[in-house]
Amino acid sequence: MFDLVAQSIISGIGVGAIYGLIGIGFCVIYNASGIVNFAQGAFVMLGGMLTQGAMARLGLPLPLAAILAIALVAGSGIVLERIVVRPLWNRGSTMFVMILATLAAQIVIERITLIVGGDQPRTLPVFTDLPPLRIFGFAVNFQFLWIVGCSALIIVLLGLFFSSTKTGKAMRACSINRDAAALQGIPVSRMLALAFAISAALGAVAGILITPTQYTAFNVGVPFAISGFIAAIVGGFGRPLGAFAGGILLGVAQALAIVYLGAASKNVAALSILLLFLFVRPTGILGSAK
Amino acid sequence: MNSLITIWANRRINPAALVLWGLAAAFVAYTFVSGGYLIAVLHFALIYTVFVTGLNIFMGFTGQVSFGHNAFAAISGYTSAVLTATYNWDPLPAGLLGLAGALTCALIVGYPVLRLRGHYLAMATLAIGLIVYEVAVQWDSVTKGYMGISGIAPLGIGRFTVVSDRALLIFLVIVAGLSLLSAAGIRRSRLGRAFVAIAGSEDAARALGIDVARYKLIAFLISAGYAAIAGTLFVHAVGFVSPEVFGLPMVVLSFTMLYVGGIGTIGGAALGAIVISALPESFRTFKDYQDLAYGAALIAILIYAPRGMASLPALWTKWRQRVAA
Repeated sequence: MFDLVAQSIISGIGVGAIYGLIGIGFCVIYNASGIVNFAQGAFVMLGGMLTQGAMARLGLPLPLAAILAIALVAGSGIVLERIVVRPLWNRGSTMFVMILATLAAQIVIERITLIVGGDQPRTLPVFTDLPPLRIFGFAVNFQFLWIVGCSALIIVLLGLFFSSTKTGKAMRACSINRDAAALQGIPVSRMLALAFAISAALGAVAGILITPTQYTAFNVGVPFAISGFIAAIVGGFGRPLGAFAGGILLGVAQALAIVYLGAASKNVAALSILLLFLFVRPTGILGSAK
Repeated sequence: MNSLITIWANRRINPAALVLWGLAAAFVAYTFVSGGYLIAVLHFALIYTVFVTGLNIFMGFTGQVSFGHNAFAAISGYTSAVLTATYNWDPLPAGLLGLAGALTCALIVGYPVLRLRGHYLAMATLAIGLIVYEVAVQWDSVTKGYMGISGIAPLGIGRFTVVSDRALLIFLVIVAGLSLLSAAGIRRSRLGRAFVAIAGSEDAARALGIDVARYKLIAFLISAGYAAIAGTLFVHAVGFVSPEVFGLPMVVLSFTMLYVGGIGTIGGAALGAIVISALPESFRTFKDYQDLAYGAALIAILIYAPRGMASLPALWTKWRQRVAA
């Protein structure tokens, strides 16, 4: 039993890191604009689907296909921002209208993918096709190492971007006070587009990393978005590092729920954690950023 | 607001409103005479009118957010379906028990949920809808999972059952009409004014002595009641229920109806439900295109016509005034 639990905690950390990346995507947009983008799951789905499509139809090797997919998804983030979010933003729409519009965008993207790509689930090959490593007697497969390694790298890069580049600092200024940032000559609206691009790219990376261990299909987006959102809530909304920690907590909790309560309890467990946090401590473990 | 009631109250008939309602009435009459597949479309629209009216009370009047009212439709619908199909109950007591069950759940979750605001409230309600959906999928022994329950008895009391399509249409027109009238009544009552005050400003409402938390809960319960009735009507009218019936697309569909019709107006719920059910009929054979069309339509309306069709009469009045001046 102990082995099984330890083993599932390891896999929970891997899935949790993915939730964390998606959660960071929520935070990046939220910090830049106060918008909660409910179309976040579409980026995750597109990341996996486009990579698979680029490999199968264009015959590209995995790394090229992944880079192409990330670039395309980042572009789709900017398109979403321009077509859907910008007009509502300019009119000063309520938060609820924004949520509804992005949720509708999620469904539109999902359905277009279904029409173009069909409803067959697809998968990607594992990045490194070697037998699992044995660490202290536990099997650790290479995809887990890819997921954890890439997530750690992304977090470090994002941290550097926000702390030491001019653009990153400008985005942080927008999140502190948009009007003051505009007065300093920061192009606030371009920062919003950039936030959507970054967030979409994060989603795409998450989707590409997780697809070899599961599968991807037109409808995987919403569950991933909800898990990412839960990660962001647990960590304190608007805190990227908190979101990552929240994601890992959620992944481990889900893995334990599967061991003790059965696979069917996975989603209910995650949603129950969400409600528990919303009811008892809506500001998350670390406290909300704002 | 451009409800029938206010039109009567003002004793001034707005031509644009008259045209809209005339078209709606003509459509119902035409469908009644012609019969066929259009009748099923209209059944669907009238049931959604009840659901959207409930949503409108909570969101349009009270200014709150719920992505989870499908949960109450599902609880009531499934209760009624299981009791009639598995335990051979009569539809009326089964439906009432379903309504009671849905209201009890709404009361239990309403208290903690309604303390939340903004995206926290949106996500908490969404989670409730998704949990109920998961339970409907996983609780195989009772709900039969994805397979769904079929052979649900038609509506009726004792020996009197509403079986024929036309009888069901008349019954649903009456129910939908009653739901609109009751919503108009609520809007004009002390209760409705309190709701609108909360939507305007919670602080101001509190300063006026309105118990904001209590009135929000009341609005939530009332709207959950409408949703529950719509859920029960649906399972008995169609005779079949599966988790997909009450899934996330139902939420987006009902919001599309609410916004097309005009959020916050009384008649908007009916107009939106009828238009959105009837228009994409040509798409209906392509389920995928249909959801795509609903989603795209919702985005377009949110951007270009955030007040919906029910605002057309007001626009007409404004135009007339501008022409006169």
